[in-house]
Amino acid sequence: MLLSSVVIILREVLEGAILLSVLLALSSQRDISLRWSLPALLLGSIGATGYAANFETIAAWFDYVGQDIANATLHLLIVLSLTAFAILHQVYERSHNNAIIACMILAVAFTVVREGSEIILYLSGYMNNSEVFPSVMLGGIIGSGIGASIGTLLYYALSCFLINSARKIAYLLLSLFAAGMSLHVVTMLTQADWMASGHSLWDTSGWIDESSLTGQLLYAVTGYESTPNANQVIAYIAGILLLLLLPRLLKKGFEVYEAKS
Amino acid sequence: MNFKYIQMIFMFALWFSVLNSVLAAPEFKIEIKNHLFFPAELTIPADTKVKLRIFNRDDTNEEFESYDLNREKVIMGNSQTVIFVGPLKPGSYEFFGEFYPKTAQGKIHVE
Repeated sequence: MLLSSVVIILREVLEGAILLSVLLALSSQRDISLRWSLPALLLGSIGATGYAANFETIAAWFDYVGQDIANATLHLLIVLSLTAFAILHQVYERSHNNAIIACMILAVAFTVVREGSEIILYLSGYMNNSEVFPSVMLGGIIGSGIGASIGTLLYYALSCFLINSARKIAYLLLSLFAAGMSLHVVTMLTQADWMASGHSLWDTSGWIDESSLTGQLLYAVTGYESTPNANQVIAYIAGILLLLLLPRLLKKGFEVYEAKS
Repeated sequence: MNFKYIQMIFMFALWFSVLNSVLAAPEFKIEIKNHLFFPAELTIPADTKVKLRIFNRDDTNEEFESYDLNREKVIMGNSQTVIFVGPLKPGSYEFFGEFYPKTAQGKIHVE
Protein backbone atom coordinates (compact mmCIF):
# COMPACT_ATOMS: atom_id res chain seq x y z
CA MET A 1 0.00 0.00 0.00
CA LEU A 2 2.83 2.34 0.97
CA LEU A 3 4.73 1.97 -2.29
CA SER A 4 1.71 2.31 -4.57
CA SER A 5 0.58 5.46 -2.76
CA VAL A 6 4.09 6.95 -3.08
CA VAL A 7 3.96 6.35 -6.86
CA ILE A 8 0.40 7.66 -7.29
CA ILE A 9 0.97 10.87 -5.32
CA LEU A 10 4.39 11.45 -6.93
CA ARG A 11 2.85 11.19 -10.41
CA GLU A 12 0.25 13.82 -9.53
CA VAL A 13 2.65 16.18 -7.71
CA LEU A 14 5.44 16.01 -10.30
CA GLU A 15 3.59 17.88 -13.08
CA GLY A 16 2.72 20.81 -10.84
CA ALA A 17 6.19 20.86 -9.26
CA ILE A 18 7.94 21.02 -12.64
CA LEU A 19 5.65 23.76 -13.98
CA LEU A 20 6.05 25.80 -10.79
CA SER A 21 9.85 25.53 -10.72
CA VAL A 22 10.23 26.51 -14.40
CA LEU A 23 7.96 29.55 -13.91
CA LEU A 24 9.77 30.51 -10.69
CA ALA A 25 13.15 30.30 -12.46
CA LEU A 26 11.84 32.56 -15.25
CA SER A 27 10.44 34.96 -12.60
CA SER A 28 13.70 35.32 -10.72
CA GLN A 29 15.54 36.08 -13.98
CA ARG A 30 13.22 39.00 -14.49
CA ASP A 31 13.45 40.14 -10.86
CA ILE A 32 9.81 39.25 -10.24
CA SER A 33 9.30 38.36 -6.56
CA LEU A 34 8.51 34.66 -6.10
CA ARG A 35 5.62 35.49 -3.75
CA TRP A 36 3.02 34.97 -6.51
CA SER A 37 3.38 31.20 -5.98
CA LEU A 38 1.51 31.41 -2.65
CA PRO A 39 -1.81 32.77 -4.01
CA ALA A 40 -1.42 30.37 -6.98
CA LEU A 41 -1.13 27.32 -4.72
CA LEU A 42 -3.86 28.60 -2.40
CA LEU A 43 -6.31 29.27 -5.27
CA GLY A 44 -5.48 25.89 -6.77
CA SER A 45 -6.05 24.08 -3.46
CA ILE A 46 -9.43 25.78 -2.96
CA GLY A 47 -10.39 24.88 -6.52
CA ALA A 48 -9.23 21.28 -6.11
CA THR A 49 -11.26 20.88 -2.91
CA GLY A 50 -14.35 22.33 -4.59
CA TYR A 51 -13.93 20.10 -7.65
CA ALA A 52 -13.42 16.97 -5.53
CA ALA A 53 -16.41 17.84 -3.30
CA ASN A 54 -18.71 18.14 -6.34
CA PHE A 55 -17.02 15.39 -8.30
CA GLU A 56 -19.94 12.96 -8.28
CA THR A 57 -22.31 15.55 -9.76
CA ILE A 58 -19.82 16.77 -12.37
CA ALA A 59 -18.86 13.19 -13.34
CA ALA A 60 -22.49 12.34 -14.14
CA TRP A 61 -22.91 15.22 -16.63
CA PHE A 62 -23.50 14.35 -20.32
CA ASP A 63 -24.15 10.66 -19.54
CA TYR A 64 -21.10 10.15 -17.31
CA VAL A 65 -18.46 11.90 -19.39
CA GLY A 66 -18.56 15.12 -17.32
CA GLN A 67 -15.20 14.31 -15.75
CA ASP A 68 -13.52 14.21 -19.17
CA ILE A 69 -15.12 17.47 -20.27
CA ALA A 70 -14.16 19.23 -17.01
CA ASN A 71 -10.57 17.94 -17.21
CA ALA A 72 -10.27 18.82 -20.91
CA THR A 73 -11.43 22.35 -20.03
CA LEU A 74 -8.82 22.59 -17.24
CA HIS A 75 -6.06 21.39 -19.56
CA LEU A 76 -7.15 23.87 -22.23
CA LEU A 77 -7.12 26.72 -19.67
CA ILE A 78 -3.56 25.72 -18.66
CA VAL A 79 -2.44 25.86 -22.32
CA LEU A 80 -4.12 29.25 -22.83
CA SER A 81 -2.61 30.74 -19.64
CA LEU A 82 0.86 29.52 -20.65
CA THR A 83 0.45 30.88 -24.20
CA ALA A 84 -0.57 34.30 -22.84
CA PHE A 85 2.39 34.12 -20.45
CA ALA A 86 4.86 33.26 -23.23
CA ILE A 87 3.59 36.08 -25.46
CA LEU A 88 3.74 38.76 -22.74
CA HIS A 89 7.06 37.45 -21.40
CA GLN A 90 8.77 37.59 -24.79
CA VAL A 91 7.18 40.64 -26.38
CA TYR A 92 7.63 42.93 -23.35
CA GLU A 93 11.16 42.65 -22.02
CA ARG A 94 10.58 44.89 -19.00
CA SER A 95 6.97 46.06 -18.62
CA HIS A 96 3.65 44.24 -18.07
CA ASN A 97 4.95 42.30 -15.07
CA ASN A 98 1.54 42.24 -13.35
CA ALA A 99 -0.13 40.64 -16.37
CA ILE A 100 2.71 38.10 -16.54
CA ILE A 101 2.24 37.29 -12.84
CA ALA A 102 -1.51 36.85 -13.39
CA CYS A 103 -0.87 34.34 -16.21
CA MET A 104 1.56 32.35 -14.05
CA ILE A 105 -0.90 32.29 -11.13
CA LEU A 106 -3.66 31.01 -13.44
CA ALA A 107 -1.47 28.32 -15.05
CA VAL A 108 -0.26 26.95 -11.70
CA ALA A 109 -3.71 27.22 -10.06
CA PHE A 110 -5.44 25.28 -12.88
CA THR A 111 -2.73 22.59 -12.70
CA VAL A 112 -3.19 22.27 -8.94
CA VAL A 113 -6.98 22.01 -9.39
CA ARG A 114 -6.52 19.16 -11.87
CA GLU A 115 -3.87 17.18 -10.00
CA GLY A 116 -4.94 18.14 -6.47
CA SER A 117 -8.52 16.97 -6.95
CA GLU A 118 -7.25 13.55 -7.99
CA ILE A 119 -5.06 13.34 -4.86
CA ILE A 120 -8.06 14.25 -2.68
CA LEU A 121 -10.25 11.62 -4.40
CA TYR A 122 -7.53 9.01 -3.91
CA LEU A 123 -6.86 9.78 -0.23
CA SER A 124 -10.53 10.23 0.70
CA GLY A 125 -11.17 6.64 -0.35
CA TYR A 126 -9.09 5.47 2.62
CA MET A 127 -10.51 7.88 5.24
CA ASN A 128 -12.71 5.26 6.90
CA ASN A 129 -10.16 2.47 6.71
CA SER A 130 -8.09 2.94 9.88
CA GLU A 131 -5.88 -0.06 9.05
CA VAL A 132 -4.29 1.25 5.87
CA PHE A 133 -4.94 5.00 6.19
CA PRO A 134 -1.67 5.73 8.09
CA SER A 135 0.49 3.97 5.49
CA VAL A 136 -1.40 5.64 2.61
CA MET A 137 -0.91 9.06 4.23
CA LEU A 138 2.78 8.31 4.86
CA GLY A 139 3.14 7.26 1.21
CA GLY A 140 1.42 10.50 0.20
CA ILE A 141 3.83 12.57 2.29
CA ILE A 142 6.87 10.74 0.88
CA GLY A 143 5.52 11.07 -2.68
CA SER A 144 4.88 14.82 -2.28
CA GLY A 145 8.33 15.18 -0.72
CA ILE A 146 10.06 13.51 -3.67
CA GLY A 147 8.01 15.61 -6.14
CA ALA A 148 8.82 18.84 -4.29
CA SER A 149 12.53 17.91 -4.15
CA ILE A 150 12.67 17.28 -7.90
CA GLY A 151 10.99 20.66 -8.46
CA THR A 152 13.46 22.41 -6.13
CA LEU A 153 16.43 20.72 -7.84
CA LEU A 154 15.14 21.81 -11.24
CA TYR A 155 14.70 25.39 -10.00
CA TYR A 156 18.29 25.59 -8.72
CA ALA A 157 19.64 23.82 -11.80
CA LEU A 158 17.94 26.42 -14.02
CA SER A 159 19.21 29.24 -11.78
CA CYS A 160 22.81 27.97 -12.11
CA PHE A 161 22.89 28.15 -15.89
CA LEU A 162 23.83 31.34 -17.70
CA ILE A 163 20.78 33.57 -18.15
CA ASN A 164 20.38 32.96 -21.89
CA SER A 165 20.70 29.18 -21.89
CA ALA A 166 18.53 28.82 -18.76
CA ARG A 167 15.83 30.80 -20.52
CA LYS A 168 16.06 28.54 -23.55
CA ILE A 169 15.88 25.36 -21.46
CA ALA A 170 13.00 26.79 -19.41
CA TYR A 171 11.10 27.64 -22.58
CA LEU A 172 11.75 24.22 -24.05
CA LEU A 173 10.40 22.55 -20.88
CA LEU A 174 7.43 24.91 -20.81
CA SER A 175 6.50 24.24 -24.45
CA LEU A 176 6.78 20.47 -23.98
CA PHE A 177 4.59 20.79 -20.89
CA ALA A 178 1.99 22.82 -22.83
CA ALA A 179 2.17 20.34 -25.72
CA GLY A 180 1.49 17.50 -23.27
CA MET A 181 -1.49 19.45 -21.90
CA SER A 182 -2.95 19.97 -25.42
CA LEU A 183 -2.50 16.26 -26.05
CA HIS A 184 -4.45 15.55 -22.84
CA VAL A 185 -7.30 17.77 -24.12
CA VAL A 186 -7.59 15.51 -27.18
CA THR A 187 -7.28 12.31 -25.09
CA MET A 188 -10.07 13.44 -22.73
CA LEU A 189 -12.39 14.50 -25.57
CA THR A 190 -11.75 11.22 -27.43
CA GLN A 191 -12.39 9.19 -24.28
CA ALA A 192 -15.72 11.03 -23.96
CA ASP A 193 -16.46 10.53 -27.69
CA TRP A 194 -16.69 14.28 -28.23
CA MET A 195 -13.87 13.95 -30.74
CA ALA A 196 -13.37 11.38 -33.48
CA SER A 197 -11.02 8.55 -32.60
CA GLY A 198 -8.55 6.79 -34.86
CA HIS A 199 -5.87 4.11 -34.94
CA SER A 200 -2.56 4.98 -33.34
CA LEU A 201 0.06 6.27 -35.78
CA TRP A 202 3.01 4.49 -34.17
CA ASP A 203 3.99 2.43 -31.13
CA THR A 204 7.13 3.33 -29.18
CA SER A 205 6.25 1.22 -26.14
CA GLY A 206 9.03 -1.19 -27.19
CA TRP A 207 11.57 1.59 -26.58
CA ILE A 208 10.05 3.40 -23.63
CA ASP A 209 7.14 1.75 -21.88
CA GLU A 210 4.66 4.21 -20.36
CA SER A 211 4.49 2.20 -17.16
CA SER A 212 8.30 2.26 -16.66
CA LEU A 213 9.96 4.88 -14.47
CA THR A 214 11.39 6.73 -17.49
CA GLY A 215 7.99 6.56 -19.18
CA GLN A 216 6.20 7.99 -16.15
CA LEU A 217 8.77 10.77 -15.74
CA LEU A 218 8.51 11.60 -19.45
CA TYR A 219 4.70 11.53 -19.14
CA ALA A 220 4.81 14.07 -16.31
CA VAL A 221 7.27 16.42 -18.02
CA THR A 222 6.36 16.09 -21.71
CA GLY A 223 3.02 14.23 -21.78
CA TYR A 224 4.74 11.19 -23.35
CA GLU A 225 2.31 8.90 -25.15
CA SER A 226 3.62 5.68 -26.73
CA THR A 227 0.67 5.07 -29.07
CA PRO A 228 -0.75 8.46 -30.16
CA ASN A 229 -3.43 8.93 -32.81
CA ALA A 230 -3.37 11.64 -35.50
CA ASN A 231 -5.40 14.17 -33.47
CA GLN A 232 -3.07 13.78 -30.50
CA VAL A 233 0.02 14.35 -32.67
CA ILE A 234 -1.55 17.46 -34.24
CA ALA A 235 -2.47 18.82 -30.78
CA TYR A 236 1.06 18.15 -29.53
CA ILE A 237 2.70 20.02 -32.42
CA ALA A 238 0.17 22.85 -32.05
CA GLY A 239 1.08 23.16 -28.36
CA ILE A 240 4.79 23.48 -29.16
CA LEU A 241 4.15 26.04 -31.90
CA LEU A 242 1.88 28.11 -29.62
CA LEU A 243 4.62 28.51 -27.02
CA LEU A 244 7.81 28.53 -29.08
CA LEU A 245 6.82 30.13 -32.38
CA LEU A 246 3.81 32.41 -31.81
CA PRO A 247 5.51 34.71 -29.23
CA ARG A 248 8.55 35.12 -31.52
CA LEU A 249 6.40 35.93 -34.56
CA LEU A 250 4.42 38.48 -32.55
CA LYS A 251 7.62 40.03 -31.22
CA LYS A 252 9.03 40.35 -34.74
CA GLY A 253 5.71 41.83 -35.90
CA PHE A 254 5.77 44.44 -33.13
CA GLU A 255 9.35 45.37 -33.92
CA VAL A 256 8.56 45.86 -37.60
CA TYR A 257 5.46 47.90 -36.67
CA GLU A 258 7.42 50.11 -34.27
CA ALA A 259 10.24 50.65 -36.75
CA LYS A 260 7.71 51.84 -39.32
CA SER A 261 5.85 54.26 -37.06
CA MET B 1 -4.11 28.95 -48.99
CA ASN B 2 -7.48 30.44 -49.90
CA PHE B 3 -9.69 31.08 -46.85
CA LYS B 4 -12.60 29.22 -48.51
CA TYR B 5 -10.58 26.01 -48.69
CA ILE B 6 -9.70 26.23 -45.00
CA GLN B 7 -13.37 26.79 -44.24
CA MET B 8 -14.35 23.76 -46.33
CA ILE B 9 -11.81 21.49 -44.63
CA PHE B 10 -13.00 22.72 -41.25
CA MET B 11 -16.67 22.08 -42.12
CA PHE B 12 -15.81 18.61 -43.37
CA ALA B 13 -13.92 17.78 -40.17
CA LEU B 14 -16.87 19.02 -38.11
CA TRP B 15 -19.38 17.06 -40.18
CA PHE B 16 -17.24 13.95 -39.92
CA SER B 17 -16.96 14.17 -36.12
CA VAL B 18 -20.72 14.75 -35.76
CA LEU B 19 -21.46 11.75 -37.98
CA ASN B 20 -19.02 9.69 -35.97
CA SER B 21 -20.79 10.54 -32.70
CA VAL B 22 -24.26 9.88 -34.08
CA LEU B 23 -23.44 6.31 -35.09
CA ALA B 24 -24.04 4.59 -31.75
CA ALA B 25 -21.23 2.44 -30.38
CA PRO B 26 -22.02 -1.03 -28.95
CA GLU B 27 -22.06 -0.97 -25.15
CA PHE B 28 -20.17 -3.37 -22.83
CA LYS B 29 -20.57 -3.46 -19.05
CA ILE B 30 -17.87 -4.03 -16.43
CA GLU B 31 -18.34 -4.15 -12.65
CA ILE B 32 -15.86 -3.47 -9.86
CA LYS B 33 -16.45 -5.53 -6.71
CA ASN B 34 -13.96 -6.02 -3.85
CA HIS B 35 -11.32 -4.28 -6.02
CA LEU B 36 -11.73 -6.84 -8.81
CA PHE B 37 -13.07 -6.37 -12.33
CA PHE B 38 -16.04 -8.50 -13.48
CA PRO B 39 -15.54 -9.70 -16.16
CA ALA B 40 -11.76 -9.42 -15.88
CA GLU B 41 -11.45 -10.35 -19.57
CA LEU B 42 -13.64 -8.90 -22.26
CA THR B 43 -13.77 -9.51 -26.01
CA ILE B 44 -14.75 -6.67 -28.33
CA PRO B 45 -14.87 -6.42 -32.14
CA ALA B 46 -11.87 -5.06 -34.06
CA ASP B 47 -11.99 -1.66 -35.82
CA THR B 48 -15.10 -0.69 -33.89
CA LYS B 49 -15.64 2.08 -31.38
CA VAL B 50 -17.03 0.61 -28.15
CA LYS B 51 -18.74 2.18 -25.14
CA LEU B 52 -17.61 0.75 -21.80
CA ARG B 53 -20.00 1.38 -18.91
CA ILE B 54 -18.18 0.64 -15.66
CA PHE B 55 -20.05 0.26 -12.36
CA ASN B 56 -18.08 0.62 -9.13
CA ARG B 57 -19.96 -1.46 -6.52
CA ASP B 58 -17.31 -0.82 -3.83
CA ASP B 59 -17.52 2.04 -1.32
CA THR B 60 -14.02 3.15 -2.30
CA ASN B 61 -13.01 5.23 -5.32
CA GLU B 62 -11.12 3.59 -8.17
CA GLU B 63 -9.33 4.82 -11.27
CA PHE B 64 -9.70 2.86 -14.49
CA GLU B 65 -6.32 3.10 -16.18
CA SER B 66 -4.78 1.58 -19.28
CA TYR B 67 -1.49 2.49 -20.92
CA ASP B 68 -2.37 0.21 -23.87
CA LEU B 69 -5.67 1.99 -24.48
CA ASN B 70 -4.58 5.54 -23.48
CA ARG B 71 -7.39 5.73 -20.97
CA GLU B 72 -7.54 7.12 -17.42
CA LYS B 73 -10.70 7.89 -15.45
CA VAL B 74 -11.73 8.11 -11.79
CA ILE B 75 -14.88 6.20 -10.77
CA MET B 76 -16.28 7.16 -7.36
CA GLY B 77 -17.50 4.51 -4.95
CA ASN B 78 -21.07 3.28 -5.65
CA SER B 79 -21.12 5.13 -8.93
CA GLN B 80 -20.66 4.50 -12.65
CA THR B 81 -18.81 5.93 -15.60
CA VAL B 82 -18.63 5.73 -19.38
CA ILE B 83 -15.39 5.34 -21.36
CA PHE B 84 -15.19 5.06 -25.14
CA VAL B 85 -12.40 2.89 -26.58
CA GLY B 86 -11.36 2.02 -30.10
CA PRO B 87 -11.43 1.51 -33.04
CA LEU B 88 -8.63 -0.94 -32.18
CA LYS B 89 -6.48 -3.39 -34.09
CA PRO B 90 -6.78 -7.08 -33.06
CA GLY B 91 -4.75 -7.91 -29.96
CA SER B 92 -4.79 -7.83 -26.16
CA TYR B 93 -4.99 -4.59 -24.22
CA GLU B 94 -4.39 -4.54 -20.46
CA PHE B 95 -6.19 -2.29 -17.99
CA PHE B 96 -6.02 -1.93 -14.20
CA GLY B 97 -7.40 -0.02 -11.25
CA GLU B 98 -4.76 2.53 -10.34
CA PHE B 99 -5.89 2.81 -6.72
CA TYR B 100 -5.83 -0.99 -6.15
CA PRO B 101 -3.38 -2.18 -8.81
CA LYS B 102 -2.53 -5.47 -7.08
CA THR B 103 -6.01 -6.96 -7.44
CA ALA B 104 -7.88 -4.82 -9.95
CA GLN B 105 -6.51 -6.11 -13.27
CA GLY B 106 -8.15 -6.93 -16.56
CA LYS B 107 -7.70 -7.41 -20.29
CA ILE B 108 -9.64 -6.45 -23.39
CA HIS B 109 -9.28 -8.87 -26.28
CA VAL B 110 -9.92 -7.35 -29.69
CA GLU B 111 -10.88 -9.86 -32.39
